[in-house]
Amino acid sequence: MGLSRMLQTLRSITERVPRRVWAVAGFSLAAIFPLFNVLGFMPTAWLRVGVVSLVFVMLSLGLNVVMGEAGLLNLGYIAFFAVGAYTTALLSSPKFGLRWPFWALLVLSALLAMVAGLLIGLPTLRLRGDYLAIVTLAFGEIVRLTITNLQPLTNGPNGVTGIYPPRLLSQGAIDSLQASGWSEALLKWLVIDKPIEYYYLVFVFVVITAFLISNLKNSRVGRAWNALREDELAAVSSGITAARAKLLSVVLSAGVAGLAGSVYAYYSNVISPESFLFMQSVIVVCMVVLGGMGSIPGVIIGAIVLQALPQVIRESAGAMRSEFEVYRMLIFGLLIVAMVIFRPEGLLPDKLWRQEVHEVDPRELEKTRQSLFDVEEGHQDLEA
Amino acid sequence: MGNVLELQGMSMSFGGLKAVDNLSFSVRENEILSIIGPNGSGKTTTFNVISGLYEPDSGDILLQGESVAGLRPDQVHERGISRTFQSLRLFGNMTVLDNVLVGMHTRTKAGVVAAMLRLPSVRREEAAAKAKAQEVLAMFPGRFSGPRQSDPAFSLSYANRRRLEIARALASEPALLLLDEPVAGMNPMESREVMEQIKELRSRGYTILMIEHDMKVVEGVSDRVIAMDHGVKIAEGSYQEVATNHLVVEAYLGKRGAGTAS
Ligand SMILES: Nc1ncnc2c1ncn2[C@@H]1O[C@H](COP(=O)(O)OP(=O)(O)O)[C@@H](O)[C@H]1O
Ligand SMILES: [Mg+2]
Repeated sequence: MGLSRMLQTLRSITERVPRRVWAVAGFSLAAIFPLFNVLGFMPTAWLRVGVVSLVFVMLSLGLNVVMGEAGLLNLGYIAFFAVGAYTTALLSSPKFGLRWPFWALLVLSALLAMVAGLLIGLPTLRLRGDYLAIVTLAFGEIVRLTITNLQPLTNGPNGVTGIYPPRLLSQGAIDSLQASGWSEALLKWLVIDKPIEYYYLVFVFVVITAFLISNLKNSRVGRAWNALREDELAAVSSGITAARAKLLSVVLSAGVAGLAGSVYAYYSNVISPESFLFMQSVIVVCMVVLGGMGSIPGVIIGAIVLQALPQVIRESAGAMRSEFEVYRMLIFGLLIVAMVIFRPEGLLPDKLWRQEVHEVDPRELEKTRQSLFDVEEGHQDLEA
Repeated sequence: MGNVLELQGMSMSFGGLKAVDNLSFSVRENEILSIIGPNGSGKTTTFNVISGLYEPDSGDILLQGESVAGLRPDQVHERGISRTFQSLRLFGNMTVLDNVLVGMHTRTKAGVVAAMLRLPSVRREEAAAKAKAQEVLAMFPGRFSGPRQSDPAFSLSYANRRRLEIARALASEPALLLLDEPVAGMNPMESREVMEQIKELRSRGYTILMIEHDMKVVEGVSDRVIAMDHGVKIAEGSYQEVATNHLVVEAYLGKRGAGTAS
């Protein structure tokens, strides 16, 4: 009881501060985060946690499009991440002796993930809820098993190693800039190979993704998704082409995952099938649910909490490390159960969803009852 | 004045049940045509077929002379038929304004990329759509003013939810508006208000096909009335003609044991 009252107080305090203030504060904190490391207050390991967390923020933003906005449960989302990661890894590593330009690979990774989205979306989007979840789950496993077994292409379980770091400009361009007198210290930033550089690279992608998705959310496209989520029959009767709108959400979210996968491959240097387990798909779903479906700030918080917190605990666990690994999923499960009980709308929900779960005005309820009564009265009228 | 809608020998069955049987009628421009009939007589099914939710077994449906039979619901909406539902179907977790804006989906055209970048053209379209949606909501004076427009639809009173559904259907400025029991569940005062609003819509030039059980409303607004029973049209004409038609009286008597049709 004491705890729940404390949470209540905390909530009422936090909710008095306008959302915009929180957004600016969060953005600023994320923007200066690496400086703590530069200034020596924070170990580099934490900066690395930051990079991976941001990658998962991207994934959650992408999954939220299909799950939060369009209301389609996708349990194989990590497969699109895998497609992006392997595209980049195979075309920028010693495996085939290739080093395609960074920007080209970024686009290609996103595009191939989108094609995968199209392939899985086209035949399955006519299915409803539970069936869709099962089919996407199977799709995720098929992609992972294919990667594991396609040894000649992917090295199977050993994975692809030695992925080259991204160059923001081609080597030729960098050389000629240097020749024309640019300082080497400045040009070093064009080759992304330090955690801080990765951090800012992913940070920029996250900001751009959040901006684009938030625009989309508040447009006729986003409204069409929401309408389909709320009531498909009413949506199609209001002129929305269900198949097209749903496919669009699946393809777009796949594209975001592909992009995230590409950056992740560069950053981790090595990728193998074990990064793309079913459990990872579930974790991204949890991030979206924990943060608050349909809410961009919520989803960002959800991803950071679920990705960073376990890492930070592990980093500080020292000798207890392996123990913690064992309990990680258990803690996850407990957290989600607690959420469903205490705050089903998520940590930072979309405004409207919160209202539905909690703030039902008793007067409105009374009105509803009144109307129900009127229904009966109406029929008596007819018969009288 | 031409016919906005023409149903030609339309039939629709579910398994062995003929829900609508060889139904023909037409709706003239700027009139209010009401369909009455006992429960289960095929009225809602007729609406579902017209609006593209079901494909008719046979017959044709012409909207302003062009066939819309067999089109998908979104295509039918785009051509100019929009509707409300007997069992209210709003987008509960969306705002009042957004519900109306969804109704304008086929009347706006921003593409994905343009919307993502929120290009000036998208901003203009969005602003115009909002203004239009507010104008539509203003047809229900005092019901959806100011801050209420950003309330979620589920929080509205029952009568307001019915009104909002009509507003959503009106947002696309349809050539034909289908209303399925618009005053169902309303108290007498509320139904009188909605009745006036339906008449107001006619004076604004709308053409309306309405299913209604409340005979006062039917009498009050209809230019013509059609009666159905067991999927078949049993009478057509003015309210007085249909209400006194012996087949209609029998249909209601048979269904309800006692009472009258008017
Ligand atoms: N989707 C459906 N599947 C099977 N039977 C249906 C379906 N829709 C309606 N019916 C049947 O068709 C008949 C007409 O129903 P309906 O059009 O809803 O009647 P009304 O609107 O006149 O009350 C009823 O017998 C009903 O049970
Ligand atoms: Mg009906």
